[in-house]
Amino acid sequence: MDISMWLALVSIAIGTYLLRLVPYLWMKRRLAKRQTEDGVGSMPTWLTILGPTMIAAMFGTSLVPTQPDTVSWLATGIGILVTFGVWTRTRSMGLPTLCGVVSFGVVTLAF
Amino acid sequence: MSTSAKSLAGTPWKQGVKDAIPLLGGYIPVAISFGLISVQSGFSVLETVLISVFIYAGASQFLFVAMAASGAPLWLVVIMTLLINARHVVYGPNLSPYLNHDKKWLPLMHGLTDQIFALAHVRLPQLPDQARIGWYTGAAVLAWLSWVAGTAVGAIAGGELTRRWPLINDILPFALPALFFVLIVPRCNNRLWSLTIALSAVSAVILKMSGYPNMAIPLAAMSGAVLFYILKNQRVLGVY
Repeated sequence: MDISMWLALVSIAIGTYLLRLVPYLWMKRRLAKRQTEDGVGSMPTWLTILGPTMIAAMFGTSLVPTQPDTVSWLATGIGILVTFGVWTRTRSMGLPTLCGVVSFGVVTLAF
Repeated sequence: MSTSAKSLAGTPWKQGVKDAIPLLGGYIPVAISFGLISVQSGFSVLETVLISVFIYAGASQFLFVAMAASGAPLWLVVIMTLLINARHVVYGPNLSPYLNHDKKWLPLMHGLTDQIFALAHVRLPQLPDQARIGWYTGAAVLAWLSWVAGTAVGAIAGGELTRRWPLINDILPFALPALFFVLIVPRCNNRLWSLTIALSAVSAVILKMSGYPNMAIPLAAMSGAVLFYILKNQRVLGVY
């Protein structure tokens, strides 16, 4: 890589870090200023809604198979159903995720 | 590990490592692909690894390598990659009520990826204040190291690996939707949130399948938030 490429890399790295850091610092100062007992209560409502909807959107985007054919969608559907089934029994994260991946893999390999 | 409030078993950082293990199924195959593509695009192994160490943002790394290899103007490369990462601006503020004033949080923000945010957003409120930084350090460092290690493996032997075990790229990444599902499903405890979450997820699927993978997350999240406000106002007015 030449100097200009390194500069681009460093700019992106710093910019990405600041995108993660600065809004956090802004909210921290805002919460400190309000000096409320429960910080969540003084956060803007739109921000508390965007948190869960961002996770739901990540779920949606990650759900789309790399090769979106019938078998992949079938495997995806079964994988999510198994994940949900195990979650309803265990209310945990690790085991439902593992069972979901295994069932997804079994369906993918079977077809 | 329970998604409901529960005390910590073992040291906080160990619990963080344990909670982040499902992320590896999604991180490592994508990191291997990135390492392979980066080397094929003309970057050296060391340069490829350094990109993952310092940028540490999947989509923008792929874009950086692709645009740089195609000879795009570097100012445009920088702007485009930062635009893709713009969604990260809502992560820190959402977590900040759960983080104390320890200065160590500042460097740890480097590890605030989509997946770590999703995990931390659910787990941090369940943990005692003094355990949060340890938990986050364990989870974020494991995810970061797996991304860097996966990149190195991909850059050095990615071609051989994907030839021998082609299913690595097909099966393991399902860990991500399964994990996101487990993280978000407890939120669907009433009709308002269930509809909001469903619309966000369905919009994201449609947007990604329509060829807008990078805009899918922020746009789908915003559409869900708009629906939330509409339904909430209707309920307040007695319509819903």
